[in-house]
Amino acid sequence: MFIEKIEKEVLLKPLQTVIGIVERKQPLPILSNVLIEKTGHLLHFVATDLEIQIATQINDTNQAEPTDESLTVAAKKLHEILRVLPEGSKVALEIQENRLHVKAGKSKFNLQTLPARDFPKILEHFEQSEKIQLKQAQLKKLIGLVQYAMAQQDIRYYLNGVLLVVEGANLKLVATDGHRLAFTSAKLDKEYPKTEVILPRKTIVELVKLLEENDEEISVEFAENRVRINFSGITITSKVIDGKFPDYDRVIPSYTNHLALDRLVILQALQRAAILSNEKFRGVRLILTEKNLRVSSSNSEQEEAQEDIETDYHGVALDIGFNVNYLLDGLNNTAADTVVFSFGDPNSSILITVPGNDEFKYVVMPMRI
Amino acid sequence: MPAIQLLPDLLISQIAAGEVIERPASALKELMENSLDAGATEIAVQLEGGGVRLLRVRDNGGGIAPDELPLALKRHATSKIATLDDLRRVPSMGFRGEALASMAAVAQVTLTSRNPEATHAWQIQAADGMQSDAAPAAHALGTSVEMRELYFNTPARRKFLRSEATEFAYCEEAFKRIALSRPEVAFSLQHNNRVVWQLPVSPLPPGEGSGVGERLLQQRIAALLGDEFARGAAIVDRRAGGLHLYGMASLPACSRVSRDAQYFFVNSRFVRDKVVAHAIRQAYQDILHGQRHPAFALFLDMPPEQVDVNVHPAKSEVRFRESQAIHRFVFHTLQQALGAPAAPAENISETPRQTAPFVQQQYAMPLHAAAEPLALYDALFGNRDSGTSGQESESEKSLSAACRLSDDTGIPPLGFALAQLAGIYILAQNRQGLVVVDMHAAHERIVYEKLKAALDGQHIPAQPLLIPASFSADALDIATAEEEQAALAQLGFDIAPISPAALAVRAMPAPLKQAHAEAAARDVLRELREFGATRALTERRNELLATLACHAAVRANQSLTLPEMNGILREMERTARSGQCNHGRPTWFQISIAELDAMFLRGR
Repeated sequence: MFIEKIEKEVLLKPLQTVIGIVERKQPLPILSNVLIEKTGHLLHFVATDLEIQIATQINDTNQAEPTDESLTVAAKKLHEILRVLPEGSKVALEIQENRLHVKAGKSKFNLQTLPARDFPKILEHFEQSEKIQLKQAQLKKLIGLVQYAMAQQDIRYYLNGVLLVVEGANLKLVATDGHRLAFTSAKLDKEYPKTEVILPRKTIVELVKLLEENDEEISVEFAENRVRINFSGITITSKVIDGKFPDYDRVIPSYTNHLALDRLVILQALQRAAILSNEKFRGVRLILTEKNLRVSSSNSEQEEAQEDIETDYHGVALDIGFNVNYLLDGLNNTAADTVVFSFGDPNSSILITVPGNDEFKYVVMPMRI
Repeated sequence: MPAIQLLPDLLISQIAAGEVIERPASALKELMENSLDAGATEIAVQLEGGGVRLLRVRDNGGGIAPDELPLALKRHATSKIATLDDLRRVPSMGFRGEALASMAAVAQVTLTSRNPEATHAWQIQAADGMQSDAAPAAHALGTSVEMRELYFNTPARRKFLRSEATEFAYCEEAFKRIALSRPEVAFSLQHNNRVVWQLPVSPLPPGEGSGVGERLLQQRIAALLGDEFARGAAIVDRRAGGLHLYGMASLPACSRVSRDAQYFFVNSRFVRDKVVAHAIRQAYQDILHGQRHPAFALFLDMPPEQVDVNVHPAKSEVRFRESQAIHRFVFHTLQQALGAPAAPAENISETPRQTAPFVQQQYAMPLHAAAEPLALYDALFGNRDSGTSGQESESEKSLSAACRLSDDTGIPPLGFALAQLAGIYILAQNRQGLVVVDMHAAHERIVYEKLKAALDGQHIPAQPLLIPASFSADALDIATAEEEQAALAQLGFDIAPISPAALAVRAMPAPLKQAHAEAAARDVLRELREFGATRALTERRNELLATLACHAAVRANQSLTLPEMNGILREMERTARSGQCNHGRPTWFQISIAELDAMFLRGR
């Protein structure tokens, strides 16, 4: 017996954890499978797409005579079956002639398997590595502050991810798609040697899904071309992007022309203006005059939107265009009540920061409208 | 023994005509040049029977006053020059006053013209030395010259004419040369009532004051030499002193198997000149493959007094006052234009950016990708940063134009390496699609250019020979050796006459000390004499360097890592002439996404 009796919820949870990276349309059949390894009372679940591997385990205490067995089976199908079984069902799994029999009450399923030895596990053993530790919630927040700025399928492959820099006691995260750049940093518990890696987009997306808002420790280990992230019994092993991230410091400006705004007020004004912005280019104009910020947009049908926001602005007048989605991304992903927009000239970027917090910087390039 | 007598006038003209009017094409050239000299903006040419049966040129120029009409057909009658002084700076195409007279001597010529003062046109006819009186005729402002039955009265010459098709081909060539030289004039050519060429002056969008001339010229070149030529050609435009060289020259990848499509104009006059031809050949020297020939349409403008066009009746030869300067100017200009480093033309497939009047445009972030590690290069050449900086900055400057568009986004023109194919090719991805690079050829060029740059700046030390190499030389060589002592010394040579019929090489340039002294000396002397400048030594040196480069370059089947491949791509972008290897083969190809889509029938 592979699993004699287990509650469906217990079995479902590790499957849910690893299933995120399993692609449904998979040219290599075994990659659509999940590897389940049983060693004594421990059940290991592993899924991989050859770039990232996610592993987790549960304890199966119901085993009368624990054996060492392993198999691979279609991850999505098993997950789907377990998900729709009645709540509290007890599930039994049995391997017979390379098939997995799933029994729960009066339901029976028979799934094909592939040999576990063919499963391409990424080597989890790290020869030499640096390891940093921080709180799960902290990392989740940091990634949330930058991840929307990652590029997607860009020729500049090194932009398709988030740059992670450890420098002294500082952890910095940077993401850019060539039009905007998000930067954030945080203090670590102690000093570490300098390390820089680019985590691929998919790893970041999975990580955010799996991280929880708690104070549990998470460790990130860096080896030559891989990282291993350990938290809550989950191990993510990922390749890193082999490339050189652009010099982000040169892109972050320092302007003297500041405008403090209530985040929700500007966010909502932009959301309304966005409705009538050009469908393709998404341009909105920010027109800055004495004590007033006007947000205006128009689309190809010449429909127009205009919002006026009262400010305490005293600097030079300015008329500058932006892709509204870029501004919304930045504003949506900060939690602060107030944000500060810093301007250069109409052809220069804008810097969005949070007052009293120099750990977040968001740079957006303008548009010609 | 026949008595000495004066020849009849008609015979004199007929003899002269043999020089000026060789075949219909030469008559056509003369007539079209007359039209241009008359300030025409539209010239229509009609031919029948290859121009032998009928050749008619009609223009809308200034016309001829009625009372001057009979004079126009007389020998040595012209409105273009009046004194010998005028001859030194001839602004017009013709000036000898022979063409019409010669035609009238060997064909039936009808001249119809109306100038602005006349109320209607007048016409005269001439044949066999007889000229009719001027008679009223119908004609718009301008002049028509009609020449029928060429050589009807000199059957011996008529026999030398070729087939209709051949004569027409010559006429067409003459037509093309003139049409090329004047893009601001509209031309048309009909043969046997069939339109062969229709070259309008397309109206350009208003408000583009500068660059209109260049645009017109490029359109005309594309119309006459084909769009393919225009796409695969480098644009040449350089001024120095009173000289201005402009036009288009084919990139080595678009060279041709034959020598057709080679047009060189001096002050809008088509010429064949061996100084210029040599300079052009030199500029293509190490980038053109084997027996291929460049195609070009180049225009050299210079002060008229510095060039003598009165060398040949058909004026297809010229003599430059300072041929050495011309040689150097043409060579350097062309070499520079062709040497711009590899970068795919950004705009070829893209639609113009500002088609819609109201387009929003996102600015890109100036992301500066840090330099890739170049283990291979560092191993080969030591640290790159400490290399020859002077040359680097110059080639970087010429790159900047091509690069500016992509500079901001950080995507280099040749993109990023994806993989190595069969140990021979580098596959890379750039904004347009796939780039395939022959890594050995590309690297060979990079190494070669570096070696050249390292040596170019240096003074060439002379290596005295223990035993001077003496060889017998003719008087011309000896005279050149004596005249050009300074030039020879600069090249590291010491050649002195040891007898009235022998020269001795006492010193050789050090880099060439292994070379055959006599052969090298002869080459150098010949080039100095004929072209006023010699690159024979540079050529020899470059051959040595090319061999060195070939051995130093990465070989096929050498497996490269991605950073190394990226390193080669970045070096190619920096290196002049990196589009061709040392032997003129191309080093890379672009396969655009659109072309790939077409292969897979996507998006149909």
